[in-house]
Amino acid sequence: MRKSLYVTMFALLVAALVLTACAQTATPTATVAPATEVPVATTVPTVAPTATLAPGSVQVNAGGATFPLPLYQQWTYAYQYVDPSVVINYQGTGSGAGKSGILDGTLDFAGSDSILSADQYTQGKDLQMYPMVASAVVPVYNLVPAKAVPTGTTLPALVLDGQTLVDIYNAKVNTWNDPEIAKLNPGWDGYLPTSKITVVHRSDGSGTTEIFTNALTAFSADWTAGHGQSVTWPVDKAGSGIGGAKNQGVAAAVVNTPNSIGYVELAYANSNGMSKVSLVNKAGKTVVANGASIASAMTDFATAFDAHLNAVIVNGAGDGSWPITGYTYIILHTTSMTDCAKASKIVEYLNWALTDPTAAKAAATLGYSVLPTSIRDTVLAKLAEVTCNGQPVK
Amino acid sequence: MYLQNLSNLRKIMKISTTKKNDVLKKIRQLFNHGDRPWNGLIIIMSVIVLVLMLAIGYMLWQQSALSRVKFGWGFLVPTNNPTWDPYNDIFQAWPFIYGTLMTSFVALLLALPISLGIAIFLAELCPAWLRTPLNWLIELLAAIPSVIYGLWGIFIFLPKVVAPIGDALFTAFAAVPVIGPFFAGPIPQSGASRLAASLILAIMIIPTIAAVSRDVFQAIPDSQREAALALGSTEWETIWQVLLPYGLSGILGAIILGLGRALGETMAVTMVIGNSINGSISILKPGYTMASIIANEFAEATSELHTSSLVEIGLILFIITLLLNMLARFLVWSVARKTPSEARA
Repeated sequence: MRKSLYVTMFALLVAALVLTACAQTATPTATVAPATEVPVATTVPTVAPTATLAPGSVQVNAGGATFPLPLYQQWTYAYQYVDPSVVINYQGTGSGAGKSGILDGTLDFAGSDSILSADQYTQGKDLQMYPMVASAVVPVYNLVPAKAVPTGTTLPALVLDGQTLVDIYNAKVNTWNDPEIAKLNPGWDGYLPTSKITVVHRSDGSGTTEIFTNALTAFSADWTAGHGQSVTWPVDKAGSGIGGAKNQGVAAAVVNTPNSIGYVELAYANSNGMSKVSLVNKAGKTVVANGASIASAMTDFATAFDAHLNAVIVNGAGDGSWPITGYTYIILHTTSMTDCAKASKIVEYLNWALTDPTAAKAAATLGYSVLPTSIRDTVLAKLAEVTCNGQPVK
Repeated sequence: MYLQNLSNLRKIMKISTTKKNDVLKKIRQLFNHGDRPWNGLIIIMSVIVLVLMLAIGYMLWQQSALSRVKFGWGFLVPTNNPTWDPYNDIFQAWPFIYGTLMTSFVALLLALPISLGIAIFLAELCPAWLRTPLNWLIELLAAIPSVIYGLWGIFIFLPKVVAPIGDALFTAFAAVPVIGPFFAGPIPQSGASRLAASLILAIMIIPTIAAVSRDVFQAIPDSQREAALALGSTEWETIWQVLLPYGLSGILGAIILGLGRALGETMAVTMVIGNSINGSISILKPGYTMASIIANEFAEATSELHTSSLVEIGLILFIITLLLNMLARFLVWSVARKTPSEARA
């Protein structure tokens, strides 16, 4: 009978729905066993797995700079195995959002490439910035040689010095075969194209721009556009500037525009396989951006930290120093934290990140430079001064 | 005894039926207060929409107070040498206003003939077997997320299509006396320019305008077509001289929808327009739009004045959208005033 057929089908549908629902709730909860070897991925993780919040565990909310995001994701993932009782949630919302988050209390700690202003220090009352790792900002280029390169020869990396870089970004040098560039690149003799330079910069506010403009200001007094997360770019007025959103946007713009130059963090230049500029530093030596040159720049400014542990480390005087380097910081409240369990977990995590060899290996694999020992000890000493409800945090 | 039980049973059933009828009556009375409560409910819904819009406008006005007071009307004035300087805290919005208006209008100009062509084809000339798949394809085009348009633009459309078009326009028009400055400067090799933004916006608004115009054409009664044909006009004469004027108000409504989408489009535009703040009026140069600068700079705005200036740009965009919509509505009203039964000379 028709009616019984419909009834049977309906019953089967209901049964199917009920069984699916039951199957989903019957998944066994995964137990995390502390492993002796903390797993470290060799590639940048695309999605960091989040642990389930077991009862009694501490949840730490953090956010901020996107530059160290791949590293922080790797660290929080590895830390789940070191201490399963704490879940650290770091969101890459940008340095500005990180700073405002720690100021209005929505974040437990923040990541930022750019330094807090005096007003923000007064507003936050007890904020302290701790440098975690250092980064290099490297100019990248996309050149189409003027004549065919004979097979078997490869053109050397382009060499620029501080003044030339400032002139390019000021639109004073606007063709690639300008004598200023040709003088520094004898290996490119005859190969430098005659076309105009398309200069790529960031369209959004960023700590990368702050580090880059700090360097341009230090290179030459000709750079008058200032320094900061956003500036007015003289190349825009001259009509040869293009803005890309975030590091990825600048990288894409340089890759897609022949005869262009831009600036990105070292990690992005490496992962996109882009051609990197070698710079002539303050000591007159030509250096390449890598872990060693960043470490040399850090050592140049080892005593330049102010009471807030802020330092601008561009244009270092060392022979092997990369001139466009900057720290990335974690911002923390030092005396006004009231949740002492959470405070001690945060301080433990930061200690682990600064001292543990696995954390250092993760940083090196992803292209970041850990602090030299002397600087690290200064930071650890400052970290030990954090108190919660008057008691020092253990 | 049996008869008594039967009559008792009948009495019980009668009582229960009466009780049931009473309950049903009470339930019906709950909903039977007439039309006024329902009218009230609908009015509340409409008022909520109005209140929302007023609340947004008020919030924009409040948050932009700092920059409105500091810069006044100079914020909006057209200038050849715009300043957007977060370092020195000096801001002017003209490049963004120009970018938004220019890209939206050029997109509309390019999209209009194509959309009308599609609508006329689908409504009048299309064979029945092709109509449904083509309708579906047009609506699919409208459903593609704008980020996908941006990605496709950066990697394929801009270098391969826009850059050659830009080069051709440059060689053809840059030297012409009056319109030359609009085609100044060779287009960047990557194709990132206002032209690219206009073309991608045109592609994005074509399905909107085409779908609504097609509906307008399909709603025109057949009596109009029959009357035109009876008077001896050809198919094209019918379309141009009878159907298009008849459906003009509906087509203008479609244009409003398309323009609204073009004005507010953020993601696709910011990926292809080059994000460069300059005073050039050329369509071949990289530019910036109001929605793009807000999307790019708001999260990391450095100072109170910077944030306030960005909110003021949002306020300007809000007001421009409202004004253009009101203008378009006025146009629709003035066209629709003419009754369809008026004879067309």
